Amino acid sequence: MTARNLLGLMLIAPAALAVAAPASAKDYLTIAQAQQVLFPGATFAPTAVTLTPDQIKRIRKQSGVRQREDKPRIWRAMKGGNLGWFIIDEVVGKHEFITYAAALSPSGRVIGIEILSYRETHGGEIREAAWRAKFRGKTLADPFKLDRDVPNISGATLSCRNVLDGVKRLLVMQQVALPAL
Amino acid sequence: MGDALHRRGRPLLGTFVEIAVAPGADVGGADRADRAVSAAFAAIETVHGLLSFQDPASDLSRLNGAAGGWVKLDPLTLRAIGLARAMTRLSGGLFNCTVGGALVERGVLPDHDLSVGLLSGVAEDIEVKPGAARLARPVRLTLDGLAKGLAVDLAVARLRRAGITHGLVEAGGDLRVFGDIPTPVHRREVDGGLTLLGHLTNGAVATSRVGGDPDPDQPGWIVAADGVAAKPGLYSVLARMAWRADALTKVAATAAVDDRDEAVTRLRGRRVLSDNEAAA
Repeated sequence: MTARNLLGLMLIAPAALAVAAPASAKDYLTIAQAQQVLFPGATFAPTAVTLTPDQIKRIRKQSGVRQREDKPRIWRAMKGGNLGWFIIDEVVGKHEFITYAAALSPSGRVIGIEILSYRETHGGEIREAAWRAKFRGKTLADPFKLDRDVPNISGATLSCRNVLDGVKRLLVMQQVALPAL
Repeated sequence: MGDALHRRGRPLLGTFVEIAVAPGADVGGADRADRAVSAAFAAIETVHGLLSFQDPASDLSRLNGAAGGWVKLDPLTLRAIGLARAMTRLSGGLFNCTVGGALVERGVLPDHDLSVGLLSGVAEDIEVKPGAARLARPVRLTLDGLAKGLAVDLAVARLRRAGITHGLVEAGGDLRVFGDIPTPVHRREVDGGLTLLGHLTNGAVATSRVGGDPDPDQPGWIVAADGVAAKPGLYSVLARMAWRADALTKVAATAAVDDRDEAVTRLRGRRVLSDNEAAA
């Protein structure tokens, strides 16, 4: 079942959702939009970083969170001088899969966080890599296409702890693996 | 049905906050809309910094830790306390902002190295004068849902001041729509599914969940005035403002079953039932 089918089902037959318990999906900003929101007016230079197994281990140890990706997606933000780092990261929780952007200052302060996309699920499918990869392309390619399908939700509070843990991990990664600006 | 809103989300208030605005003509393009949305997020952060129970440095924690002394507070904090005190009094304790002790005892909220004190109190335990407040007995205030709703309301005010005529702000289940465009609103059910509640213009809807196993992903907890847990279920309330809608979900949850609708209506809200409930 494709993501679009999942969402289509949600629109057509909302009453059936309690049984089907499908995912809700939200797309917010593109990478380019998030860059301009977090570092207005800056230019961005992609920075290739490959984490060594030792660095990954140190990040895990110091942040308490596992670093899954050995090639993190990082940009240097510049306007005159260096403003800081712009990093795209993903976290997988029990009920959600979240892609977000974090802006970190040269001194290791969090300048801001923006959610790029939020996939919610109550089944096991979120942990399947193929299913995730399908969304990844979609997120970056057509950010607002799904907008009319996005539900506005009143409901129980969902914890954002996973994202905050992710940001903590990125701050450690900055210390362990990124050059001083 | 399409709303084609420009949406952004941030992790705030311990949950996810979403702001969506109509882009384009009325606000002079996306850049200006984004600046307005950033300012609205900042307003939410301000509320969080002042009213968080978890943060030991917040205005609220300073008041809770002051052992009955007068504490100088931000005008926004005083406004929130004023609303919470009035709602506690007017609801006869069905909504009760003094149950912090009960929540600390249950381990839902941190103790900040203070003794629990009274599990709960009454509106009169809170004394207010210009610029300051004190707690006359060793109760602890918790404003969680009301503070979240107030944060939503202030974010909406910020967006409107920036010239945005239609949009919505959603924070951990509190949702407010402004502008005249009917906006579909769903409710997250206990099993995670979504139910369409209806379409909303210029109003707020809040949903609180009571019962189920304690879940670190859904940290909310409701206790009645006597410290007894409220009746399990989902409680959704419609009101003009989000702070009131959220506060009234507590009233709906703790009122006697046959007084539930009337208690909420008396306090200027309206219970929202999903199609399933209405049919039942």
